[in-house]
Amino acid sequence: MVVEHELLTFLEWLLPSQYGMGALLTFFLVVAILSVLFVILAYIFTSARHGPFEAFYVVAKSIATGVSDLVNTSPRRILAMARLAIMEAVRRKVLIAFVVFLAILLFAGWFLDAQSEHPARLYISFVLTATNYLVLLLALFLAAFSLPNDIKNRTIYTVVTKPVRATEIMLGRVIGFATVATALLAMMCVVSYVFVVRGLSHEHEVVAESVQDKRNAQGDVEGFTGETSLNSHHRHTFEVDAEGVGQTDVQMGHWHQVTTTKGPDGQSVYTLGDPQGQLLARVPIYARGPFPLRFLGRDGRPGDGISVGDEWTYRDYIEGASGARAIWTFQDVTENRFPDGLPIEMTIGIFRTHKGNIERVVRGELEVVNPETGFRSEPISFRPVEFEIFHLDVPRNVRVVDPATQLSRDGDVFEDLVAEDGRLEIWLRCAEPGQYYGVSRPDMYLLAAERSFFMNFVKGYVGIWLQMLVVVCFGVTFSTFLSGAVAMMATLATIILGYFSQFVVGVATRTIEGGGPIESFYRLVTQKNVSIDLEPGIGVKVMQWVDIGLMYLMQAAVAIVPSYGRFGTARYVAYGFNIDPNLLTQHAATCLAYVVAVTVAGYFFLKSREIAG
Amino acid sequence: MEAAAVEKSTPTAAAASAVGADVVIETRNLSKTYHDFWGRPKVLALKALDLEVRQGEIFGLLGPNGSGKSTTIKLLLGLLFPTKGQAYVFGKEATNVKNKERIGYLPEESYLYKFLNAEETLDFYGRLFDMPAQVRRDRIKSLIDMVGLQWAKRRQLREYSKGMTRRIGLAQALINDPDLLLLDEPTSGLDPIGTREMKDLILRLRDEGKTILVCSHLLPDIQDVCDRIAILHQGELKELGRVSDLLRVEKVTQIRARGLSDEAKEEIRAVIARHGGEVDGIENPTATLEQLFLEIVQDSEARPGRRAAGASDGKK
Repeated sequence: MVVEHELLTFLEWLLPSQYGMGALLTFFLVVAILSVLFVILAYIFTSARHGPFEAFYVVAKSIATGVSDLVNTSPRRILAMARLAIMEAVRRKVLIAFVVFLAILLFAGWFLDAQSEHPARLYISFVLTATNYLVLLLALFLAAFSLPNDIKNRTIYTVVTKPVRATEIMLGRVIGFATVATALLAMMCVVSYVFVVRGLSHEHEVVAESVQDKRNAQGDVEGFTGETSLNSHHRHTFEVDAEGVGQTDVQMGHWHQVTTTKGPDGQSVYTLGDPQGQLLARVPIYARGPFPLRFLGRDGRPGDGISVGDEWTYRDYIEGASGARAIWTFQDVTENRFPDGLPIEMTIGIFRTHKGNIERVVRGELEVVNPETGFRSEPISFRPVEFEIFHLDVPRNVRVVDPATQLSRDGDVFEDLVAEDGRLEIWLRCAEPGQYYGVSRPDMYLLAAERSFFMNFVKGYVGIWLQMLVVVCFGVTFSTFLSGAVAMMATLATIILGYFSQFVVGVATRTIEGGGPIESFYRLVTQKNVSIDLEPGIGVKVMQWVDIGLMYLMQAAVAIVPSYGRFGTARYVAYGFNIDPNLLTQHAATCLAYVVAVTVAGYFFLKSREIAG
Repeated sequence: MEAAAVEKSTPTAAAASAVGADVVIETRNLSKTYHDFWGRPKVLALKALDLEVRQGEIFGLLGPNGSGKSTTIKLLLGLLFPTKGQAYVFGKEATNVKNKERIGYLPEESYLYKFLNAEETLDFYGRLFDMPAQVRRDRIKSLIDMVGLQWAKRRQLREYSKGMTRRIGLAQALINDPDLLLLDEPTSGLDPIGTREMKDLILRLRDEGKTILVCSHLLPDIQDVCDRIAILHQGELKELGRVSDLLRVEKVTQIRARGLSDEAKEEIRAVIARHGGEVDGIENPTATLEQLFLEIVQDSEARPGRRAAGASDGKK
């Protein structure tokens, strides 16, 4: 699903806590290690030129100058450099990127699957992904070529011969290019939003012949059912009550409100509203604590979930019609947060050991349990939609079972089923024998609120903005000591490494078969696939030793390079989950850390190079 | 004269001995070697240069292409780092950022941002000196007037001719009212009038008390304006001294006279011969082409409409 890992609050993430040493400490540790390496390398290089004694003095002095430069940095000069960078970007026709974006949107109809099950997800992830790549590409080009061009054209001569600090040259460029990219991003955001909303909006009419009376057991008319016209590759069925108010079923991830008015001839005119339920920003509350999700085995005793041999080990399975249960523990469940009862949403994977009617859903039951007193609700039966988000409301007034007497009585969710400290358990059971329910921690959550989709969309763009900022910093920093094309390749390398960090870690930690880079290359050339053992020998040994060295380097590189993939929050927006402020602040802080560290590195590179060399 | 002789014979010793508060530029054993990609020495661009430029003088760096003039200027500006030796400007190391508040630099070609117009260019450089808006505005106006680009101040520099670019380049070098001006080939690309104006300007700036280092291979420029010169060749200092002293030809005596008859000239020859001298030649002097050109243009401006060819005929 969207959230596979537990989300920490900003402070838990930042400071040392039970979850680890905290980001701040990690940052300082990494910076300290890198700084020491940096200084040692600088010393070695300087020694080669000036000799070991002089080098000591030179390195110490440049660090001291760095501090004084930072203090003397003038906002006016930074702004002047930033203005110049903006004018340069405009001169280099960055607006073309926006035109390209518009063109992509115009032709999007050709390759976006109009009959998709979830058009909203498709549209949203499409615009966000397109913007993401386009803006990163733009940032890459702007940042990597600017300084090298200035050096090549020697325009930099007239700048560095003024009292300009390297900090100001760096920051000016970063701010300038970030401003340009921000402006473009904002334009793209607005256009994308309009594209998504307009693209998903459609209307249905009611097919008059399809409307039928809906009668209850006694044969009284209690409403009407009917069908809508076929629009945008789908049609709905709907139900309205006797007053003529109701809604359609869910098709392609949305539904419509149905209202009825009386026409001039006294006949009923049904009107369908705009599509609902596809542009959402749900605020989920996930199970937390030391045991957010635990299992009871088929004998009803504490155990683990079952593996059904799925390659993706994300879900654990419980057997149907047995003592097996999946139990989520929620915290801080209060009346204030859920005044009308518990809105539960879940996504359940179903594993069938016999097919039967594949269309027929596998029934389940859940109980709300007070972990302190053992009071539980009577089982609530439901039919989940497979691999879809399924909504279930547990009302405030429920039948409560006393564990001592096994007698049930009327009770209240918050009075009887929530412990003093706000904890609450939800026990899930699969009701059909021979079938299994697959669950993971984030598969069940309480829906705390629904926020504005537009704001969530904007937050998705903020994620892109953060990535852009980091790319600009890397680009400018690389361009302080590399030529334009090389700086671009280097920056691109960090982006690729960042996006595929999980794979690289897999290779580096040997969880991906086939050995390290050299061994893989050897296998590729000699056409030996991963299942063939290499013949033992000196050559193979040497190759594997070198690989081990390279793997450490890869691990170090991945640890340093920003994992851009993580900044990407497009999935949240596409799946209709609110981007948690904690997540956004964590990303922003990470981004800031990169900006600071990379800019400082860039400063020293720029400072220590011969501009006219 | 004697002092000049000393300087001529041992330029390095002379520079090293004179240390005073009015020394603006000082280099000691300044050397620069360019390295190739692998760090192997490629070119010895400057060998152990000892120089000293004092306040209020116009100092000329003279030499053929590739003699190390530009390298020296770049070292003084901190654009390059010395391989050996030191360069001091205003008593501080050349790389010191503080120095640059008092330096104006006109590069070899005017390396300016082509997408800015004249005003924006000067405004940008003014901001780099952290000048407040009002000061910047006044300064830009007076500089544009000074270099005579009032009519083109709103045009992008990409549309500028070489001479105009040179002028705006000079204006940017003066934006901070510098105490020290480093001018790299200041007259290159300028027409004779522009050259004359540039030279006059250099002299005027010197009279205002500024120190000016000019680097050129155009000998007349150097001769006309410089107080002292250094001649570089293949990275080495070959000559250093006052222009007037260096150019004085000791053994030749020049006599100029007006209204002499041929007999009189013969008599003078005889007198020289009697004193054991040797006559190199007695002839009518020629003006320099520069003088001729300037006279023609001035004449043409005074009486517009006449053809230049006619004007020059009239002069003869």
